[in-house]
Amino acid sequence: MTIPQAPPVEGEHPLENLANEKLKTKRWFHDPLLVVGIVIVGVAIFLAAFGEAIAPYDPTVPVGPPSVPPSGQYWFGTDTSGLDVFSRVISAPRIDVTLAVSAALLSGIFGTLIGLMAGFYRGVFSSLVMRISDVLQAFPVFILAMVLVALSGRNLTNLIFALTFLYTPIFIRLTRAEVLTQRERSYVEAARAAGNSDFKIALKHVLPNSLTPSLIQLSVTVGFGILLTAGLSFVGAGVRPPNPEWGLMIANSAPQLVLGEWWTSLFPGIAVSLTVVGFAALSNAIERRVATS
Amino acid sequence: MGRYVLKRAGIGLLQALGITIVVFFVIRALPADPVARLVGFNSSPEVYKQAQASLGLDASIWSQFVTYMSGLFRGDLGVSWVTGSPILEEIRSALPITLQLITLSFALALLVSVPVGIATAKRPGGKLDKGVFGYGLFAGAQPEFWWGLLFIFFFYYSWGLAPAPLGQYAPGLDPPPQITGMSLVDSLITGNFTAFIDAAWHLWLPVMTLAFIVSGPIIKMTRQSMSRVLGSEFILYQQASGLPSGQIARSTIRASLPPVLTLAGILFGFLLGGAVLIEQVFAFNGLGSYSVRAVLNLDYPAIQGTVLIITVVSLVVYLVLDLLLAVIDPRVKN
Repeated sequence: MTIPQAPPVEGEHPLENLANEKLKTKRWFHDPLLVVGIVIVGVAIFLAAFGEAIAPYDPTVPVGPPSVPPSGQYWFGTDTSGLDVFSRVISAPRIDVTLAVSAALLSGIFGTLIGLMAGFYRGVFSSLVMRISDVLQAFPVFILAMVLVALSGRNLTNLIFALTFLYTPIFIRLTRAEVLTQRERSYVEAARAAGNSDFKIALKHVLPNSLTPSLIQLSVTVGFGILLTAGLSFVGAGVRPPNPEWGLMIANSAPQLVLGEWWTSLFPGIAVSLTVVGFAALSNAIERRVATS
Repeated sequence: MGRYVLKRAGIGLLQALGITIVVFFVIRALPADPVARLVGFNSSPEVYKQAQASLGLDASIWSQFVTYMSGLFRGDLGVSWVTGSPILEEIRSALPITLQLITLSFALALLVSVPVGIATAKRPGGKLDKGVFGYGLFAGAQPEFWWGLLFIFFFYYSWGLAPAPLGQYAPGLDPPPQITGMSLVDSLITGNFTAFIDAAWHLWLPVMTLAFIVSGPIIKMTRQSMSRVLGSEFILYQQASGLPSGQIARSTIRASLPPVLTLAGILFGFLLGGAVLIEQVFAFNGLGSYSVRAVLNLDYPAIQGTVLIITVVSLVVYLVLDLLLAVIDPRVKN
């Protein structure tokens, strides 16, 4: 689950102290935030594809005695069922990252298209869409997510569907706001004067010019999705055991933590935070580039 | 002012109504079978039918909706399918636990983050500013239950500075009678100081965990808002007019408060449903834990009740916030 972040104050860039003038002259790869973001996101995507293949043990089958501390044989130790923690940590992106990236992409596509329509064709449709997303956003997010997943069945498809449903309103809002300013610009008028249809203007001219906020949001949403999935698994409304998933690993090892068995929850926790920080850094770096160029 | 309040309250009520209707139909549209969950999947069709009728699920969805809404207007949230007790009573004992927890966390978070935010706004790019940026990045990048567990490991297991995370009171303690439902208040008004100390002892770590999590965005917002005001013309004008620095500081803080309060209100409403994970970690039987049970048991009336109560409480918080903002900045009303 995620904490809502401070929306930027109007007229001031949220990272204005970092996005200084020097950035304009710097090359892309001289930006440490961008490099960190790309490296972490790259590793995460690599592990999502090949994590299970390069893991030293099968992540879902007991491979040794339970609760062994980290050692040369079991790098991150084993959990109470004797599963290898390291293999599970590097196999988990297959679920966590795939799920969060799919949900972010889907909600990005739906939200942007609906936002484009709602911004371009003002009227009944527009206000209906906005009222519906108002109601959705006033919802307690975590509880809504639990309800959607638990009641439609705990599997990957339903998790993706639920996250998509939750994150679409953000993209609708961002795109609509951008479209509302773009549609008054003179290039739209020029396109119309040249005889283009509304549909063509919206899709070919306004849409590409209104994508920036959504693109920045996309990477942040992946982070949100990973946190939310972990939270859902933690309360028992997400991924089913013994699938390797970070939140589930932390949840299963919570009772042991108070007895001093730290390794079973520390490593998946670090994996979650690195991944989320990576996606957030990528989004921040892109945002700074866009804002300073 | 009166009209402004009425308008806000009206919009809020419509939103609550909208959410109630959406939840009612969404949970019935999803392919879960609460009847099978209650009587078991291998029960005979007669038993199944009987259970279905006793839950009122044999009626058409519209007549179920009419029954639910008419109950709602009489202040009746229905009866839990699992425990059989009225939802309103169950929520009445769960809600104060959550309210106490998040109110204290917010008080702590605001007390710490506003001064820190002001300090970073005064020295952008300084050591504190950089530290706060890193903290914000990491505090927000962690699942909150993980922070909770980490703090438990250090403060309870390693250093013994906190009790075992087993609830609001020590297991053997005789809890004070439930009056408000808030452990600190109840033990205080009954004069039970042993219970008061114990309650505080069990509260400090969850409160600190939540405060740690919500402080990131509050500091960020204070910093942004302060630096915007510090760079504005009216502050420059005050400085040019030679006003004493104390007076300038006062008007700067007053002018930068509204966005911070707005964010605090949003976070508060968010935590009503979002303290779920912290409550689970520390075994508090608050609204969050209640909602998890309701969802996992497919207890529809309890799900509807929790969502409705959370929405109403957050709307009240937003309303109070709007009033506060209107007092600070009278232009808001127009």
